[in-house]
Amino acid sequence: MQKIPTELATPGMRLAKSVLRENGMTIMAEGMELTQPLIDRLLAMDVDRIVVRGNPVDLGEGPGGADDRLGRMDHLFRGFADDPYMMKVKAFVSRHFRMAAAAREAAQKAAEQAAANKAPQAVAAASPKAGEGAKTSGRDAAGFVGEGK
Amino acid sequence: MEDLKTEVRGQVLAVKDLPTLPTVLEEVTRLVEDPESSTEQIAKAIARDQVLSAKVLKMVNSPIYGFPGRIGSIQHALVLLGFNVIRGIIISTSVFDMMERAMTGLWEHSLGCATAAGIIARRAGFEEPEEFTVAGLLHDLGKVVTAVQLPDLHEVIARTVREQDILYYEAEKKVLGFGHDRINAWLGSHWNLPGNVREAMSRHHKPETADLYPEVTAAVHIADFVVRLFEYGSGGDDQVSYLSPRTVNMLGLHMADLERVMDEFAEMMVDVSDFRY
Repeated sequence: MQKIPTELATPGMRLAKSVLRENGMTIMAEGMELTQPLIDRLLAMDVDRIVVRGNPVDLGEGPGGADDRLGRMDHLFRGFADDPYMMKVKAFVSRHFRMAAAAREAAQKAAEQAAANKAPQAVAAASPKAGEGAKTSGRDAAGFVGEGK
Repeated sequence: MEDLKTEVRGQVLAVKDLPTLPTVLEEVTRLVEDPESSTEQIAKAIARDQVLSAKVLKMVNSPIYGFPGRIGSIQHALVLLGFNVIRGIIISTSVFDMMERAMTGLWEHSLGCATAAGIIARRAGFEEPEEFTVAGLLHDLGKVVTAVQLPDLHEVIARTVREQDILYYEAEKKVLGFGHDRINAWLGSHWNLPGNVREAMSRHHKPETADLYPEVTAAVHIADFVVRLFEYGSGGDDQVSYLSPRTVNMLGLHMADLERVMDEFAEMMVDVSDFRY
């Protein structure tokens, strides 16, 4: 997951964390797919940062970030190559990151699958064009907290 | 060589213009030591410095401390977190600018270490995890002092890290003859920091030697490893630190707990990442 400025959000990104108001109220739930109207609404509400799935924006942050840990293990443990205990620690954390990556992938697939199953209705609901703005925003409001965890 | 080390040590310890702490801190410390004074009086003294109070409230309300509601006043913060924690936060506000300028990534590294130390303390079931958080926040202050007061030597240390591909701590010992843990010990007594924070600052690289507060020291030691594992910020090099096997057991934790700590850390850092005073 990655925290990005809301200005850099694009339709199709999915929220990795719920967007909360300062008092803790949920504005948009984790897992929601962003659309342009939703992004505009976030900006209008002065939400300047959101957390999205994956690592979609290059913020020039270097090798940090939780999602790409596995590939960094050799580099990070290079000073301890002769230390059998630290090599055990390395194997242990590598296994952890491998499992976390697998779990993330499975969750993503499940989410895509669920989205694909819902697609026919979504198309029907998303069809209103210009002039039917009220209907569109009604759907948005329902969708705001609709997709729970 | 020995002469050079002695000289460098003298140079560091002779430094007079260390970051100055807000004057209010002195008054507050005096009030705390006086059994007659009340929390209300202490809170009032801090609240008189409005910029400082705002910074303290910003920190205590950040995800790093993870309180569910909003802490609206200094007095509330004092009651909830205790004076030692508030004092640690005040010190961190005073060195924040310096830290940002002195070493790229050190602030993030410190925030990460603070967050991880708090997570570890909660997992191990300690009653005041905020004290662990503050110890994590301040654990590398000695590096700031070297960078600011001895910029030439700091440059040599940084070059040694690059050229010999070693940890910053090892490079410090090669160049200065001692590490930031030693400078931390001195800073800790200079600023009269609480014993647990001092011990964690001065012994997080040798947690086995901590006699008085082994738990806080062990937690900061593990936290340093975790934040490096995620390459969150930088402590001056890009390697993990040694993870002492005894520290995990000492806290009554198992390696499986360490996995939960890592998960929680990854989750929390997304929220913590852009915290600035």
